[in-house]
Parts: sequence; structure tokens; C-alpha cells
Amino acid sequence: MITGQGITKTFRQRGAVLGGREVRALRGVDFAVGKGGAVSFIGESGCGKTTLGRIVAGLESHDSGEIAIDGVPMSSLRPRARRPYFRRIQLIHQDPYSALNPTRTIHQALAAPLALRARQTGRPGSWIDERAGELLGLVGLDPGYVLPRYPHQLSGGMRQRVVIARALTVDPEMLVADEAVSMIDVSLRLGILALLRDLRERLGVSVLFITHDVATARYLGDDGELYVIYRGRVVERGPVEAVVSGPVHPYTQSLLSAIPVLHGLEEPGAQRVVPTEPLDEGGPDAGCLFARRCPFATGRCTAEVPVLGAAGGFPQEHACFHPERRSVVAAPAGRA
Amino acid sequence: MPETPPATPDGRAPGVRISGLSVVYRTPAGELPAVSGVDLELPPGTITGVVGESGSGKSTLALSLLNAVQPPGRISAGSVEIDGLGDVVALRGEELRRARGRHVGYVFQAAQNSLNPLKTVGKQLLDLGRSHGVRDLRALVREARELLGRMGLDGARVLDSCQHELSGGMRQRVGIMFALVLNAHLVVLDEPTTALDMITQATILRIVREVHAERGLTTLVITHDLGVVAEVADRLAVMYGGRVVEQGPTRDVLADPRHPYTRGLLRAVPRLTGDIGEARALPGRPPTLGTIPADGCVFRERCPLRMDACETGRPPAVAYGARSVSCHAAAENRAGPEDGGPGTAAGDRDGEDGAEARGGEEVAAGAREEQA
Repeated sequence: MITGQGITKTFRQRGAVLGGREVRALRGVDFAVGKGGAVSFIGESGCGKTTLGRIVAGLESHDSGEIAIDGVPMSSLRPRARRPYFRRIQLIHQDPYSALNPTRTIHQALAAPLALRARQTGRPGSWIDERAGELLGLVGLDPGYVLPRYPHQLSGGMRQRVVIARALTVDPEMLVADEAVSMIDVSLRLGILALLRDLRERLGVSVLFITHDVATARYLGDDGELYVIYRGRVVERGPVEAVVSGPVHPYTQSLLSAIPVLHGLEEPGAQRVVPTEPLDEGGPDAGCLFARRCPFATGRCTAEVPVLGAAGGFPQEHACFHPERRSVVAAPAGRA
Repeated sequence: MPETPPATPDGRAPGVRISGLSVVYRTPAGELPAVSGVDLELPPGTITGVVGESGSGKSTLALSLLNAVQPPGRISAGSVEIDGLGDVVALRGEELRRARGRHVGYVFQAAQNSLNPLKTVGKQLLDLGRSHGVRDLRALVREARELLGRMGLDGARVLDSCQHELSGGMRQRVGIMFALVLNAHLVVLDEPTTALDMITQATILRIVREVHAERGLTTLVITHDLGVVAEVADRLAVMYGGRVVEQGPTRDVLADPRHPYTRGLLRAVPRLTGDIGEARALPGRPPTLGTIPADGCVFRERCPLRMDACETGRPPAVAYGARSVSCHAAAENRAGPEDGGPGTAAGDRDGEDGAEARGGEEVAAGAREEQA
């Protein structure tokens, strides 16, 4: 239902000291999320995945490229005409501490969008409270406990669940979930993910999942697609299982190598890819952006920009001159 | 006890014995237990991981090591014996203030946000030194620079930086530096990698392990993330509803969890390989301060093995070799064929969950071969 082509975004920091530093958040990203689809953007903070999520949700402008919703190019519409399109896409914020107004009770936070919804659909006022309770139950909260409370009286996890409930108030067609479960209790995360999966299956709601936790992306559905993003470029893209079981880009391999192994329950993967530099603090923009940290980089990597493509006959696309499958992922213990 | 606590000799990690520790919070509904009758030993030189969800009491337990539970909370029973320091529950005022920092280093949850945004790291370091009466501030700065360098940072540059100039991973390392710079040998890390990226998390966990070994520390890591504990901790304690429900060597607990909560938690974590359909959410939700059952087992509301005994009797901690589990059902299971030795433990596993898990593994292995 939404596609993007060649999306770029550069943030310009104004400031006398730094002399207007530029941060290139996105450097030409193509993506597509179908109706009821599950797409996950994976990468470290600062890779541009959050910016891309905000652009998809219509909360951020982009510099070049085209976003189309149901085939309608958004550039062809005036800003006001775009609104009904983007209203169908709801963002679940990364930070539950700042997403809710601290001076309003949860009841107020949910009732405001629900009242609007009730007016639009001609429902009686009593529906508002009923629906608020229903939505809270859906996200695993006790309405009686939560509704009269203020955000500061709830734990971080509860707050995030309220945020998800609020996103559901407008019956969206797509949810952009930005690290939506990272602050939720471990035993409840799967419940929220199952809820997102359920919303996909039953209502055809698409889910764009933005995370650094690849395993949770896997849970959203085996038909899901994974985009691995590094410094504003997609470096690997394909079916979740293909990318997770046989990553070919060294950056994807570094990400998967860094995932803790549950020793005792799991055996570590046979190989382990560790970036040669712990952090990327900018560096030259020529060639492959990961080359500076890549243990397998060659001269070509710093000179030429690798383009995302299917070279090498892998089931996924990648942007690497030297793609090679490496088994970096832990396997259940006891398996030969 | 001596007037001023003697400094722990360099390179000697203190042991910690937490006995019968209870912490209550005063609420309109009366005093409610956040931590209830916790027994936990941190053997000298080990890394212990405490895993729990929000409201499990893990952070309150960690604060008790500093006797720093804030009102309306108070330690209502028990003791925290730290070698070279005595029972910190009995410490007051100046004694306590000196112990914090000098003996017990604490890296706060979200260390990223615990720095003063208006002062450089170096200025905050000097504040810390002055408040602890450090005479040789130059040496303190040198030590800080070395610690930061050890953690892969440019020490001089970091000391000249304000919080906003540092990345999350850098701030976390600054937090660890502050915890260690006064030469504490007992270090508490509360959620050390929350909000960090995977690669940064792996780096921080490696640093925690290395610094722990090099400086001869006793380390306590508080986290909600089983993966973090699996990576760093020798021993693991699982908390639920203010109690430790299972503890033991990390590997043993992960390979063969005995408490239904530990089992459920492990199953609720999606993994990268194997059948993702085997991942199961735990039904229900963790109790909050007001909903922790006063009597019986705290986990029974969510437990698949619930029995009559769970309603009233608090399950005692039963030892299985190096392991200790507080569960009526696990205890009953054990009373059957008997002896709880390693042989039986493996046998149990084949009998119950093992068969099911094996089946899943075979399917997954088959699928994998097809792909190759």
C-alpha cells in the first residue's frame, strides 16, 4: 500500500561552532510495504531507520524521491490532501516517556481521538469508554487500573502499551512500530508481537517494524521481509528467514554476531564477524560505507559504491562486492 | 566494627551475603513488599546476574546493596553483609556515604541520562573526588583517563565533553568509569545495556567481563534481558514478585530451567533459529506492588503447574546441587525418583520438555539441511 523510491534526507545542523554539519540520514532508499505485509527495518541507532519510519508515517519530509500510497504519488497532492492518506498510517513512538501528555489521564489520552472517531462514524458517546476499555484489554492492561491514572503512575512498559492502544483508536491500516516492544516486559513482549501479528492476519493491518532486535522481527510472520540499513543505505534485503539463516553482507553478519548467546540452551555460530572499528564517527563517504569497519574490505570497496542487487544467486538482495554466507547465528544446543 | 571501614585490599573482591532481605513501600493500602525474604550470595570474584521484569524487585534489591532505598520504601528485615564493610543495613550517615563509591560502585539504570548535562565529565569527576575527600585529584583524573582508555575511549577528550557530545555507548562507559574510579571492588550495574544497539551492547558486555577480571571485582548485573546475563554472568538469580524463584550457575539454569517462571520466560524470548512457533507468551502479567499475593507462591496466577499447595504455603528454596528453586511443583517432581544429582537432572529433561524440544529441533535441523 505504500512505496518509496530513492528517498533521501539530510539533516543540517545549524550552529556557528560546527559550521553547519550535515547528517545524511537517508541516501536513496527504495521500499515497499504491501497491504497486510510485515516489513522490518533493522540497524543501529543513527542508521536512518527511525527517520524512514517517520517519513512513512508522514511526520517528516524527505529531500528527494517519491512516496506513493495506494499508487498515488504524494508529491502530486497538496499537503492538506495528503492528510487522509497518512492518517491511515499510525506511528507507535520509540519513547513511551515522551509520547504521552503528563498532565492528562490515560482516559483523557484515549478519549480524545476516540471522541473524534465517534463523531466521524456516528457512534454514541458511551462507545468511547467502552472502546477505550476494549483497546486497553487488547494490549494487556487492566482498564480499571489504568484509565484513571496519569502516565507517571505507570511503568514504562505499561505506558508503551497505552501508546499502542492510542494508535489503534483510529483503526489504522498500517502501524509503524518504532522499537515498540523494547521497553515492554520480556514475558509480555511476545504478547504484543502476537497482537501485531494478529492484527495483520485478521484485519489486514500492515506492520512496519523498526528495531535492532532481529529475532523479534522474525516473530512477526514468516512471510516478513527484512531491510538491513546502514548509514542511510539498505545493505541487505530479503525474506526474514533467508537473511537470518544465511546473511551475506558483513554488516548484517556483525549485527547477528552481536546477539547474545544463551549458553547452555544454544551453541554459538561457527563464525563471528566483529567490526574492526567499534563505532563509525562519520568517515569518508566514498565507496561502501561499511568498508572502514569491515574485516573483509578490499580496495574496490573504498573506491566504488556497491548497488543493492541479486548478484551471486542468493535468495536475498545485498549491496556487497564480496558476498559470502557465514554461519554467525547461534543454534539450539544439542544439534550436530 | 572499626570506626572507619577499612578499604578492601586491592585485587581482593568482597563477598556479599544477602539474608532474609525484605523491603517494603508505604502506600495508602499499607506497607507492601517490593522485596520479600531474599537470600542471595555473591561469591567473591564472580558476576551474578539478577533477571526480572518490571516490578520484580530487582532494582530495589540492587539499591539495598547501598542501603539506598528511598522513602516511602524501607528495608524492613534482613541483612546485607559485605566483606570489609559489615552489614550495610546497619550503616548510617557519613559511614554510609563513604561506603558508596569507595566500596560499592553503582552504574545507574540509564546511565546515559544520569550525567549532569551542564558540566563536563571531568568537572563531575572532580566533584566526585572532592565529595569523597580525595586529596590527589590529579591521580584521580589520571585513573579516570586510564579507565576510559581501557574501555576504548579517548580519555582526555571524554573528560572535556558534556553528556550531549557522547553517544549512548560512550555514556555507559563513563558510568562504569565513575563506578570504578574510587577503586570500589563491588560493582552494581543496573540495566547496563538497555537502549544500546546490539553491536554496542556486545562491546559493553565484553568490557564488563574484562574489567571485572582485570580489577578483581565482585559484580552484580541487574537486567530484564536473559541474553545479557547469559553473556556475562557466572551465576543467575531469577526474581519474580519480589522473590528469588530460582538461582544457580547460569549455564545450568538456561539449559534446564526448573521453575515454571524461568521456563516460561525462556520460551517467551524469540530466537534466531529453530521453530519460531515454539515461542510462547506467558499468559497474564507480572504483579505490581499492590497485586503481589501476600501468601503462597507469587507466580501461581500465571503458572501451568498450579496446585493446592501454591495457594497458601510459600514455596521454600530447595537445593538441587548448586541450584536452588522455590516451587512446590518442582519439589514434588523431585520427590519421585529422587536424588537430584546431575544424572537424574538429565533424565528428567528427557522425560518432560526434552522430548518436545528435541522433536522441534529435528524439524528445524531438517529444514536447515534442505536450505543448504
